[in-house]
Amino acid sequence: MTSLTDRYLAAVLRGIPERQRADVEREFRSSIEEAVQDRTAAGEERLAAEKAVLEAMGEPSRLAADLAGRPFHLIGPDLFLVYRHILVMLLATGVPIVGLVVAALKLAGGGDYWDALAAGVGGAWNAAVHMVFWVTATFAVVERADAMRGARDEVQKASRQWTVDMLPALPNVRVGAGEMVGELVTTSLTIGGILFLQQPAWFTDERGDSIPLFNPGLWDGWLPILIAVLVALAALQVMAFVVGRWNAVLAFVHAILQVAFAVPVAWLALSGALINPAFAEALGWPALADGTGPAMLLLAAAVVGITAWEIVAVFRRAGRSAASDGRPVTSGSA
Amino acid sequence: MIDEDLVAGHRQELRRGTVVLACLLALRTPGYGYGLLKTLETAGIPSDANTIYPLLRRLEERGLLVSVWNTDESRPRKFYRTSPQGAALADRLLAEMNDLTASLHALNGGTPHDLAD
Repeated sequence: MTSLTDRYLAAVLRGIPERQRADVEREFRSSIEEAVQDRTAAGEERLAAEKAVLEAMGEPSRLAADLAGRPFHLIGPDLFLVYRHILVMLLATGVPIVGLVVAALKLAGGGDYWDALAAGVGGAWNAAVHMVFWVTATFAVVERADAMRGARDEVQKASRQWTVDMLPALPNVRVGAGEMVGELVTTSLTIGGILFLQQPAWFTDERGDSIPLFNPGLWDGWLPILIAVLVALAALQVMAFVVGRWNAVLAFVHAILQVAFAVPVAWLALSGALINPAFAEALGWPALADGTGPAMLLLAAAVVGITAWEIVAVFRRAGRSAASDGRPVTSGSA
Repeated sequence: MIDEDLVAGHRQELRRGTVVLACLLALRTPGYGYGLLKTLETAGIPSDANTIYPLLRRLEERGLLVSVWNTDESRPRKFYRTSPQGAALADRLLAEMNDLTASLHALNGGTPHDLAD
């Protein structure tokens, strides 16, 4: 027989288990030969007949996967929903956290803010690539390996036991991934802004050092505390996403943290301790730092107003979320 | 005017499930792969080599077919035969097929109650 059939069979046999090979080769060789002979008996040229027979049998690796009972997909419909769910959860929570931690470590290690930003973005990207790769690789193995049949059946069974209790809340109640990521980015930008304004390049003193916007004395006390409160708020946002909705407990903690941020800021502004007088001087607007000046009054009013609005908004969502599954707000619907 | 590709797709979908039944019925008389392909074609249920060979192996693995190599003739051939279990399955599937056909006819005629008994 010619090399075409040999090459075809070699390609098929490569893709099937060792124990099946001899049997499959014998069966296919005789079948192909018989089919070719039927065609040549009908007047076809031998090489053309062989080509036609092999091409009708299709791509060897596809046939091999079919013979070996292997799936043609990386992750099939039975596992796909669970796969997507796990991936979204990991990406939405892990990536921003890794980015923030890496950036914070860079800052703590003495890098400037651009270094920290670059390190944070790089860290987040690396984390995302690793998560996608390892989760996908794990699921692809579970989909294929015979030894994983038990695990596969478990996942399948678990994902089929669906009840209406698992329905997600309506969009105005649910805390989505996009919303959480948005909040995390806002928090990161706020913290980054506070750190950046510690040494902006706008004004310099006679020694050539930049003049910070915030009162330098605050670094010994209030500013680190405010940054810690912001980080806690970001963590709370992640929790609300994991839980899927704002409940009474989360809304209460949220209110405490918001107050813990707004009250010190407003008090510092009104007592004239927030803005660095040297900065206001250099800006040519000394009244900026004055606690009784219009700028600080406006700032204090804005902070208090926005905070009150945020607290009310979250409590309202917690209330709607409790109402949407018929439970009172106070029972804590986590 | 109905799209011929659409018809072909649905036709294939409809026939796909019947290949197993056709094999189990045909192989109550022992046969080998290539012979079975020709038998099915003659019977009006044409199928492809790359469908039939993997299918034969799967059915054998589940004990619905049994196979034996015939080396008496010049060309060795792997003969498959429907097992008692396979024959029982074929009976059930054939009954199912007839029920389905009856139901479809009833739907088409609009009087399913007449066919219930």
